[in-house]
Amino acid sequence: MKAWIEAMGCHLCVATPEGVPSVVLGRYAEVRGDDEVAFALAADEAGVIAPVIAENPRVAFGVSRQGGIRAAYQFKGAGEILQSGDLYDTVAAQAKEEKGIDAAAVLRVRLTELYCTKPGYEAGQRLDGMTPDELTAWERQRWKDVPRKRD
Amino acid sequence: MVKFTKEMKEALRVPGKGGSLIYLCTSSRDGKPNIAAMRFVATHMDDKILIADMFLLKTKANIKENPNVAVTICHPLDEGRWWVFRGKAVDMEYGFPRDFDWYGANATDILNEWGNWNKAEPPDEVPPDIVFPKAVQRGVVVVHVEEVYSIEPGHVGEKVL
Repeated sequence: MKAWIEAMGCHLCVATPEGVPSVVLGRYAEVRGDDEVAFALAADEAGVIAPVIAENPRVAFGVSRQGGIRAAYQFKGAGEILQSGDLYDTVAAQAKEEKGIDAAAVLRVRLTELYCTKPGYEAGQRLDGMTPDELTAWERQRWKDVPRKRD
Repeated sequence: MVKFTKEMKEALRVPGKGGSLIYLCTSSRDGKPNIAAMRFVATHMDDKILIADMFLLKTKANIKENPNVAVTICHPLDEGRWWVFRGKAVDMEYGFPRDFDWYGANATDILNEWGNWNKAEPPDEVPPDIVFPKAVQRGVVVVHVEEVYSIEPGHVGEKVL
């Protein structure tokens, strides 16, 4: 799961308090621990979602590209836009080095909910009640081609 | 008024026909977002996106209380498919009045053509460890697109249509 997020980036969905959704790409993602992800955002990307998050911090995201089907999860949490500080400096530097992104902001999402989106009977199943070990075992039963995992 | 380009119509088809896996983004009425990948996608007229209602849960609940949605390409992204289609959606389920109309899209026409989508366009390209064992379609989500903006790096947020 962590490998898919970092390898593919994510589609980030936010919504106004009135329920109008917007989407941008989180092209550089850094998973921090078991319940936090930081995304580097260029100025135009931040320009779309930062005003929305200022009014409504809720964020939902799914993995981009092949991850949309091979890593069929939806992540939900609370987002925070950072434009300075240690986390901003660290993530912005890595995004520049790895993907050439000039980060104007970092979106930190503290995860609170996790859902399976694999089509079929498990679609919509909530997974964040599992422990990290249980979740890893659950994932490995279903997908064998997780990027950068050796076993 | 939106009119899809040829490239958009080619992208908004099932992946097995050169189209795309898409993300359908919805929100509850009080602003809790939801994002889910969809395989069964097509266009209708010049400004409607059709998506099969097969395994929708939160997406369906959100559309029933708030029609505002956004559709974007999940995969492939590297073929210039950097669009977000924003508009209003309804889930045309079986049992809808035959003359139900959504911005010019008729329920009978939609369900007659797309109501058995798994048979019409089976997911032959989907890897066997992912394909669902049994498709149960309950309707067709019809998105009336009102604007299109870009998520291409360097042009994010710019109006396309």
